[in-house]
Amino acid sequence: MKEFNSLEDILDFAINEEQMAADFYTELAGKMKHQEMKDTFEQYALEELGHRAKLEAIKSGKKYQVSEAKIADLKIADYLLDVDVDKSNITYQEALILAMKKEKIAFRLYNDLASAATDEPSKKLFLMLAQEEAKHKLRFEVEYDNNILTEN
Amino acid sequence: MERSEEYIKNERKQEWRVELQKLTKAKDRMAIERVEMTEMAPEERIKSQRVEVNVGLTKEQAMLEATRCMDCVNPTCMEGCPVSINIPKFIKNIERGNILEAASVLKETSALPAVCGRVCPQEVQCEQRCFYVEKLNLPSVAIGHLERFAADFERESGVISVPKIAEANGIKVAVIGSGPSGLSFAGDMAKLGYDVTVFEALHEIGGVLKYGIPEFRLPNAVVDVEIENLRKMGVKFITNYIVGQTASLDDLREEGYKAFYVGSGAGLPRFMNIPGENSNGIMSSNEYLTRVNLMGADSEESDTPILRGKNVVVVGGGNTAMDSVRTAKRLGAERAIIVYRRSEEEMPARVEEVHHAKQEGIEFLTLTNPIEYIADENSRVKQIKVQKMELGEPDASGRRRPIPMEGSEYTIDATVVVVAVGVSPNPLIPNSVEGLEVSKWGTIEVVKDKMQSSIPEVFAGGDIVRGGATVILAMGDGRKAAKNMNIYLQEKYLSNKVEH
Repeated sequence: MKEFNSLEDILDFAINEEQMAADFYTELAGKMKHQEMKDTFEQYALEELGHRAKLEAIKSGKKYQVSEAKIADLKIADYLLDVDVDKSNITYQEALILAMKKEKIAFRLYNDLASAATDEPSKKLFLMLAQEEAKHKLRFEVEYDNNILTEN
Repeated sequence: MERSEEYIKNERKQEWRVELQKLTKAKDRMAIERVEMTEMAPEERIKSQRVEVNVGLTKEQAMLEATRCMDCVNPTCMEGCPVSINIPKFIKNIERGNILEAASVLKETSALPAVCGRVCPQEVQCEQRCFYVEKLNLPSVAIGHLERFAADFERESGVISVPKIAEANGIKVAVIGSGPSGLSFAGDMAKLGYDVTVFEALHEIGGVLKYGIPEFRLPNAVVDVEIENLRKMGVKFITNYIVGQTASLDDLREEGYKAFYVGSGAGLPRFMNIPGENSNGIMSSNEYLTRVNLMGADSEESDTPILRGKNVVVVGGGNTAMDSVRTAKRLGAERAIIVYRRSEEEMPARVEEVHHAKQEGIEFLTLTNPIEYIADENSRVKQIKVQKMELGEPDASGRRRPIPMEGSEYTIDATVVVVAVGVSPNPLIPNSVEGLEVSKWGTIEVVKDKMQSSIPEVFAGGDIVRGGATVILAMGDGRKAAKNMNIYLQEKYLSNKVEH
């Protein structure tokens, strides 16, 4: 597991992760055949940059808290198959699956890091990061629940 | 075609209406109980895919039910009708026994009254806005049953009226798709004097009315009569013609078509993307219903018979799921089961359809979600792994979302699985027309209430815009599009400024 020497180190890692996610979506947008899906992935990239900005603000001293309330987990991502990211005709349903699975992986990573952390400030920071990822995942799961699982 | 308040009021003041209003006292009207639709016995009707469940009203039943209608000064029921049928006028014609005139009133604004009388969710539209419901908390006037009665009476009488048609203006318009939206649009444009041609990809006219809705709910013969009526109004139909494939929109422009209405529907099945979903024996509700309804694959003589099974599981809780599971029962399934991830209260299917399904012995596994399909050594589905769900705390939108219960997984046997978890818009037109704005859902973007797309001469409506809705909403879109395309074409080609 990756070693972190300071809280700043942890934040730099998380900031880099958000940037990598944004780059991933930007690249995907470039590959898409249809404009509406280009727009979709560009939007996702922007959202990731928004997350990055939030973490940068924390790095600059903005206070953060680990909420007591548990973020709802609809577990929609748990049983869905992975999406083939090499194709150029990803549908919106697949885009949502892709996004929620990415957020889930990030959530698990920070949760594991929190469990492994030996000092309280690092644990708290990792838990906050995990919560953030859980929120991002929920945003995609709710959209999936509202629009894909519509049962005609 | 427009229904101003003044027009409605003047109609209500006509001598025959006033006489009827005086004939029966309000309290006597209110004392009449709502008519019950006669139904075929469940054990009889499940023997055939083509025996209609609802039998229809007798003339006596219909006239008595029509007497319940208060002929309100402000008929709120009309506000609940997406195609603005003059509801009190047609019902009062039934009350006085002039059924053919009632049918004629229906056709003033609806191209498919016999269809709507059968499949419209009246309970959440016109009937929900009825005086009885709004003011008395009593069952509404059975507007849907009466609509069906009037349309059936006319069809069976053989004296079928054709709406008035304006003088031909020589302008050619093309309709892409012959479902309810396209037919409704075609009817209104024909009435306005346009030269209307409907292009249909399949070999039958009617779209979802034919391939989607089973004959036990909507007999094909009923749809055919309504289509024949459109033919009499001058509408032309071309089948086996895929716009975007057989010919492009540009090809049609070269043939002289000046404007287009895209009503190509949501015929693209959606799956869940869970493991094992590609196993044999698992199909979409689109495939299942189309093969039975349109191709006759339920017949013993069919060259490509539909797969039958002892245990048929249908995933979903909408009308399509109900149609599929009830079809499975009629095809001899010992167990026909609905698996639905939410509770029964949240099922989008009409209450009537769920009720009929239960009468027919359909089993319901609610708050249950499939998570994996298990196949045998020949890749044929044999079981479904499902998970029990519970409703979570209300979220910011106030909605309680289903959440899996840890450790609640179990398997159910399945020889055939039909997936009815939603549909996506038909991608052919959205993907093949340059400059057409499309949403991330694949629906065509239109100016709301005008139904005009990013290409001025291209209008669109129904499921290709909504992504999956009801027959009547699709018809309402067709009417709106016709009104606005008429304005567009008048200004462009006939130099008449039309009042907007």
